[in-house]
Amino acid sequence: MKLPRKMPLTLGIALLGLAACNRTGVVDGKTDTEIKLAAYPERVYWGDTHLHTSNSVDAFAFGAKLGPEDALRFARGEEVTATGGLKAKLDRPLDFLVIADHSGGLGATQALYDAPRLFLRDPTLRRWHDSMHEGPQGRLKVTAELIDLAGRNALPAALSDPEGQKKRTAKIWTTHSSIVERYNEPGKFTAFIGFEYTLMPRGDNLHRVVVFRDGKARTDTVLPYDPGQGDAPVSKLWDYMDAYQKATGGQVLAIPHNSNVSNGLMFEMVGPGGGPMTAAYARRRAAHEPLVEATQIKGDSEAHPFLSPNDEFADFGKAGWDIGNLTMQRATTPDMQAGNYVREALKRGLAIEARTGVNPYKFGLIGSTDSHTGLATGDENNFFGKHSGVEPSAARASAPQNLGNTAGRFGWQYLAGGYAGVWARGNSRSAIFDAMLRKETYATTGPRMTVRFFGGWNFGADALQGDWVKAAYAAGVPMGGDLNGSAAGVKGAPKFIVSALKDPIGANLDRVQIVKGWIDAGGKLHERVFNVVWSSPETRKLTGDRLPPVGDTVDIATASYKNTIGAPQLATVWTDPEFDPAQKAFYYVRVLEIPTPRWVLFDVLRYKAKLLPGTRLKDQERAYTSPIWYHPQG
Amino acid sequence: MTLVERLKRFTREPLVHFLAAGALIFAVWGGGGDAADRSITVSEVQVRGLTEQWEQQWHRQPTPAEVDGLIRDRIKDEVYYREAVRLGLDKDDIIMRRRMRSKMEFLVAAQAENEIPSDAALQAWLDAHRRNYATDPILSFDQIYVAGDRHRAQSVLAQLNRGADPAALASLLSVPPTVDDAPAAEIDRQFGDGFAKAIAALPPGRWTGPVASGFGQHLVRLRKLTPGAVQPLSAVRKAVENDWREANRIGRENAAYQALLDGYTIRIAKP
Repeated sequence: MKLPRKMPLTLGIALLGLAACNRTGVVDGKTDTEIKLAAYPERVYWGDTHLHTSNSVDAFAFGAKLGPEDALRFARGEEVTATGGLKAKLDRPLDFLVIADHSGGLGATQALYDAPRLFLRDPTLRRWHDSMHEGPQGRLKVTAELIDLAGRNALPAALSDPEGQKKRTAKIWTTHSSIVERYNEPGKFTAFIGFEYTLMPRGDNLHRVVVFRDGKARTDTVLPYDPGQGDAPVSKLWDYMDAYQKATGGQVLAIPHNSNVSNGLMFEMVGPGGGPMTAAYARRRAAHEPLVEATQIKGDSEAHPFLSPNDEFADFGKAGWDIGNLTMQRATTPDMQAGNYVREALKRGLAIEARTGVNPYKFGLIGSTDSHTGLATGDENNFFGKHSGVEPSAARASAPQNLGNTAGRFGWQYLAGGYAGVWARGNSRSAIFDAMLRKETYATTGPRMTVRFFGGWNFGADALQGDWVKAAYAAGVPMGGDLNGSAAGVKGAPKFIVSALKDPIGANLDRVQIVKGWIDAGGKLHERVFNVVWSSPETRKLTGDRLPPVGDTVDIATASYKNTIGAPQLATVWTDPEFDPAQKAFYYVRVLEIPTPRWVLFDVLRYKAKLLPGTRLKDQERAYTSPIWYHPQG
Repeated sequence: MTLVERLKRFTREPLVHFLAAGALIFAVWGGGGDAADRSITVSEVQVRGLTEQWEQQWHRQPTPAEVDGLIRDRIKDEVYYREAVRLGLDKDDIIMRRRMRSKMEFLVAAQAENEIPSDAALQAWLDAHRRNYATDPILSFDQIYVAGDRHRAQSVLAQLNRGADPAALASLLSVPPTVDDAPAAEIDRQFGDGFAKAIAALPPGRWTGPVASGFGQHLVRLRKLTPGAVQPLSAVRKAVENDWREANRIGRENAAYQALLDGYTIRIAKP
């Protein structure tokens, strides 16, 4: 090798430069233990538990330039430049963030992109490398192929090469955790360390977000778990979590998401292998997965009209998503729907509990974005797209969104993304994580409405007067809790306090509903949606379980609405008119806003986007709380 | 200034990093790849590199014949590359251009991200951006929510000023009637943007308003207002360092580009 004559000097300078960089950053501020916790949760903390950055194999391939640091800065309220060049700033910062990059091939596409082309022997990798450098179209093509091949268990060997990947993963994982630590400020902003586990046999979505309660010192002792391609059982993830907790004394939980594209596999009645689910298996599932992400950009998983024909609001976020699994490799058939939706899973949990004594699906609810842009945007007027290939533009709403397949899903079917509301006693990793463990959480489809939900037998006549929240905590249980029908002092039906306050800068509320699911003596599962309090009750009267619609103030031309209908707050104390003390049941709250414009209308307004016939223009955004479970015996 | 200090200072110049890193890359990957140079040397290091890549791909050692094949291919790459450059084929190739640009940007970014600021640099940053790190104003106040319009709120205000019980006049809304020592951001978060600022401007000690929140009209009694205070570095170091780092990264990227740009004369003819 021939070197220019001056090389030794410049080399020396370069090394000196590097040597000066080895001092670690100074960490200051408060630790979790120094944060003063409230006696009970006084305020809801807003966050996104599911954000991807350029470290995610697909996000990078889609073009995302924003890494974890940009993502954290954005979530805290700083201005960043989005991949497409737009300046982006969240008008209201979030309280916490989980960056959940895919563990599978963590950083692999970036490595492929950055690799000297010379070393790419695999013809597929070489072609991908070239395509990605061609620009957005090429990237989109590569990503589609990547996801498709992953679903078919057919990725090039070099991408799934375990040793190379391990090295790459370790480097990215520990660098990432350092960045997260720099932005974690107990009391102000909580940055969690986490990742996404991306199990996807034949394209059936069994993904989970994995969240650690702990800091870098503990999480650096493990690598994010990658199930690889194919059929690795989910219990392997739980083994990984157990091993982590045992070795470090730390804590970790998993949050399944997009059950809607799992083709019935997310909430099965059977155990692994197809036999009846055992008590031991059910116990493990419930212990490791206390929460489910019920709503996000890739559709809403609360309920489906096929399963809940009497629920007139169950069609929210279903169009496009309910026709096939994630990659559209397999169509969804009606028999699969029951395993795809949260409400049905909560009911199935009661059935499995009746048989085994353990409820595997006793989970709380959150919403999140699953944004692949590094931007945790959840609102209709700031939707930055599922990934950087569909950041705001005239074309995105009507463009086909096919991941590796030609069947039809279209841009407009994306939701703008949801958020997680957490009733924690303070803003720190431990306080928020512990609230998640006790399921004191709710999902919203973006708006930040404040929703309280308590159950109990001993609420007084002043249950909604004065300092009622404190009293409700003392006399009952909050969302995520259990009511024991055999406890001392229990008489008659329990009461439920529900209070919903609109997003202070958002739309008024249409109604509050309580969704009840139960199992009868014959083992049959039932559900019913009760309208419990609504706006304009003087003019809107119940007929059976139906109310007249709230109305509609959306102006299509200006993508706006007026709060001249609906109510800023809806609150009541409710008793189940059909309460049967012998029946196991769950109750959760659904809050509906008045109709508001969807993100597609903002695209029309800003970019003159042309919409396809059938594009949904407005929706009633909503919140879902974690259930409260009633048990006849403790 | 000693020679070492000079050298250290010199090494902080973005352009120097840029050139040094570029030279380093050239040294490792260039392998004497000057297009004008008609000799090709494949070094031991390069052969080892080729062999390792091969092993990663195939999970076994290449046979000697396969090693020779790799070397032949490496030479072919080099010959074609040099001839292509000689013919100017790199000039109009969009992939090539984008790739070269991203390599250059990568070099700058990698250098800038490693920088650790001194205390003095952080203090200077804080001094220049004090307002970004000041604490929020802290407010204590009482409020009642009055359903209906401003007109109705004004008539309720008159009753309050005649000594009526605020609790009896309040409409139901789950926001605290009494707020003690809350930072402005926290108040806006609960009541909607701009609410804290509107209250801070009110005359203290008596019921006044109405003030509009995201929910409707409120009557407010401001009890205490503590203006925001500038914070010492020790209290905000983490945030300052993060911001300094980000600004420094952007600044150095821009400076590195500017340094290169300065070497060019640019003429633009707009149609």
